[in-house]
Amino acid sequence: MLVRINGEEQQLVSLVNITTLIARQKIRPETAVVEYNGVVLSRDKWEDTILKENDTLEILSFVGGG
Amino acid sequence: MDDKLIIAGQEIRSRFFLGTGKFASYPLMRDAIVASAAHIITVALRRIDKQERQENILDYIPKDCLIMTNTSGARNADEAVRIARIARAAGCGNWIKIEIIPDNKYLLPDNAQTILATEILVKEDFIVMPYVNPDLADARRLSDAGAASIMPLGAPIGTNKGVCTRELIKILAQEIHLPIVVDAGIGRPSHAAEAMELGAAAVLVNTAVATAQDPVATAQAFSLAVKAGRIAFCAGMAMPKDRAEASSPLTGFFAITWKIHL
Repeated sequence: MLVRINGEEQQLVSLVNITTLIARQKIRPETAVVEYNGVVLSRDKWEDTILKENDTLEILSFVGGG
Repeated sequence: MDDKLIIAGQEIRSRFFLGTGKFASYPLMRDAIVASAAHIITVALRRIDKQERQENILDYIPKDCLIMTNTSGARNADEAVRIARIARAAGCGNWIKIEIIPDNKYLLPDNAQTILATEILVKEDFIVMPYVNPDLADARRLSDAGAASIMPLGAPIGTNKGVCTRELIKILAQEIHLPIVVDAGIGRPSHAAEAMELGAAAVLVNTAVATAQDPVATAQAFSLAVKAGRIAFCAGMAMPKDRAEASSPLTGFFAITWKIHL
């Protein structure tokens, strides 16, 4: 299954929800903001959102800026 | 003196706004925020970098500060609108600094796209603070579009050159009935004081604080300079003159006769 994460295509071999994906990427969930197919996904929806073919995911975080 | 800064109906405790980029660490950034007593603090949104320190910057911003996300990285109105929506959905409130920069060399903003993004975001109930080249006609357009303030640049971002746009800032401060927040290019406390003396309502500084040898002391110095400049502006400063004018009495002492050379 091909998905696009932060602009890069990635092949996923099994079904995975957002919570697991974030954990696998070694990202601390409390720092992450997830945009799923153009819509921001609140943290309480990560568990129930299972990635499917051609999904686009942006994993963002707040950083320093002026 | 009742001299409150009100933006979008909210009283802002300090006329010194602080950006959070380029600090060596988040604890240092927090200490600088505290030392300056800044109320409005800007942050940015980026794709997560797994290599970077994985701390949440928001944990280091005091809870009584107002966090304003900027749209840096946006090259057009659509991208800025998208970033603003993400920031709000992520729980960072509805204060947004629109920063649309198509030019990487001078990092100068695109006023036309900024006006477009302001029109869209105001309709979506954002409190919009647009970062712009100081232009009176565009500032009026932004005001008409419902911007909460205008943020003209003093000099290109990160250059520390000061208020190079002083004549235009002064015109905006006189003509636009919105708070003028001088943003970018302010390199020293004296620059910040100058911006305030020109009639700016506030200044936003980042690079000059974050990259100073002692960011905490520098933040405090900027905060004091902003206060001094504001008080001076409100006090109605004396005008410069070409001819000398003695500040001590010239008569009633010995028998000096002054020859006036015309």
